[in-house]
Amino acid sequence: MKRKPQRRVAVIGAGMSLFMRRALETGKELSYYAASQALETAGVRLKEIQAVVMATAPDAFDGVHMKGEWLLDGAGGVRKPYLRAYVGGGSGVFSIISGWTLVASGLFDLVLVVAEEKMSSCQPHPQGAFLTIFDHTIERPLGPNLLWIFSLEQHRYMATYGIRNEDIALVSVKNKRNALDHPVAQVAASLTVKDVLASEVVAWPVHRLMVSPISDGAAAIVLASEDVARRLSDKPIWVQGVGWSLDTSYWGNRDLAYPRYVERAARMAYEMAGISEPRRQIHVAEPYDPFAYKELHHLEGLQLSDKGKAPEDLARGRFERTGELPTCPSGGLMGVGNPIAAAGLMKLCELFWQLRGEAGARQVPGNPERGLAQAWGDLMQVGTVAILGVN
Amino acid sequence: MRPASDQAPTVPTVLSALDQVEPRVWKGAMPVQFLYTAGAAGERFFQTLKRKGVFVVTRCEECRLTYLPPRIYCERCFADLSETWREVAPVGKVHTHTLVHVDRQGRNAASPTLVAFVRIDGTDGGLVTRLLEIAPADVRIDMPVELVLAPKRRRRGTLDDIIGFRNRR
Ligand SMILES: [Zn+2]
Repeated sequence: MKRKPQRRVAVIGAGMSLFMRRALETGKELSYYAASQALETAGVRLKEIQAVVMATAPDAFDGVHMKGEWLLDGAGGVRKPYLRAYVGGGSGVFSIISGWTLVASGLFDLVLVVAEEKMSSCQPHPQGAFLTIFDHTIERPLGPNLLWIFSLEQHRYMATYGIRNEDIALVSVKNKRNALDHPVAQVAASLTVKDVLASEVVAWPVHRLMVSPISDGAAAIVLASEDVARRLSDKPIWVQGVGWSLDTSYWGNRDLAYPRYVERAARMAYEMAGISEPRRQIHVAEPYDPFAYKELHHLEGLQLSDKGKAPEDLARGRFERTGELPTCPSGGLMGVGNPIAAAGLMKLCELFWQLRGEAGARQVPGNPERGLAQAWGDLMQVGTVAILGVN
Repeated sequence: MRPASDQAPTVPTVLSALDQVEPRVWKGAMPVQFLYTAGAAGERFFQTLKRKGVFVVTRCEECRLTYLPPRIYCERCFADLSETWREVAPVGKVHTHTLVHVDRQGRNAASPTLVAFVRIDGTDGGLVTRLLEIAPADVRIDMPVELVLAPKRRRRGTLDDIIGFRNRR
């Protein structure tokens, strides 16, 4: 980071559509539900919005080439400066980063940020689209899919630190249970570790219930500059820091047991937020959990657990909603669902509600003052981080 | 920008150019198909067209816009339009038209296709469609046209129910 930004940016509204397996609504309509709700809670009319950021992952999921442009009207971007934020699965958190740059730079005072995915369009399975993210010469002839990456990475993570699959299954149990309290959740459930490990193996050591579902949904937030935020909101939630980083796309040049790109992204965000002791200064976290092990993997990259120790922290209750550092109190992707870009922004909506004390049955105790959300994606090597706080 | 010297800039060597052969290639494809929904507004549009042979539209009074295809929200002001349904007759005017000679692969089509954008009367929208029962030379801008629908029993609630538009008699 060359210099710290001078202009402060706040979140003043948040909204979500239902997350579901197959929506009748088009992606535009889902976007509208989330965006109009975010505007309504912010007390802002679309006319007052000066620019719009739209995050949506690969075009092949919705089956609309250039879908960022196609989604324009549902996101409220007509006749406004509009941009698509896109780093694959990391897009949801990258969307607030993109919106933040538009406000922090002084270009705009009020920016609407929307994220959408309609994955049910993609048949027989989005894995067909994922096939073409692999290198066409040295990987794709093998017919790989995402499960290959995750199972190979999870196995290396387990082997490096001596982690058992039972320890990882506990993430599914926690997040699906937390999601029981989320009104838009798609796959909330009360399960045991035994249930998770009894589900079919999709690619050893990954079982079915350790994988997030295919989902349709949208989420949105409203960003404002300091003056405007103070005028419009009694409880603005400030963007204290953002960071992102991409590691190499080559397997051989990347550490599979430890997400260095997440560490780099987190360190950038911590520096901006003036955080020197993240474990003490972050009160609630929404690490990215498309697969159960990923939450643990990411917590370590975020410096919120020691390397290889996140499973132990989880087992002793540190990450429960009432624990020392509640993680994924929303229910995460494992419980609320995973409409890719929208799932990342859902995490920021959750922090907004948690930090305002408006999370209802999901509220973590102790009046949390600072939260962190993180996502991951692109060619499985981007980390995106945003830190929100009450002041 | 001009190079600092008078010499031509050096062109980087492209390895494949050295042996003067076509590079080896192999084929790939993205093995997906798509299932689309018409959406909340689209479903009502096509179901009504199928049953009653008319267009349904939505209207934003504040922006004075009538949406066809209908939308459940106003794109200008985000007003909720889901309670503003009305029906309009399926007639309009040729806003613009073209005669397409070449298909997607760039080959000459056996017979050219007459395509138009038809603005629907009483709305701020319209449809891209085919023009039927008319020689290309006889089409005029702003010519009044009417909808030609598939017979009721063959309608499926999709765009294919619309065969095209023809000169309004
Ligand atoms: Zn309007």
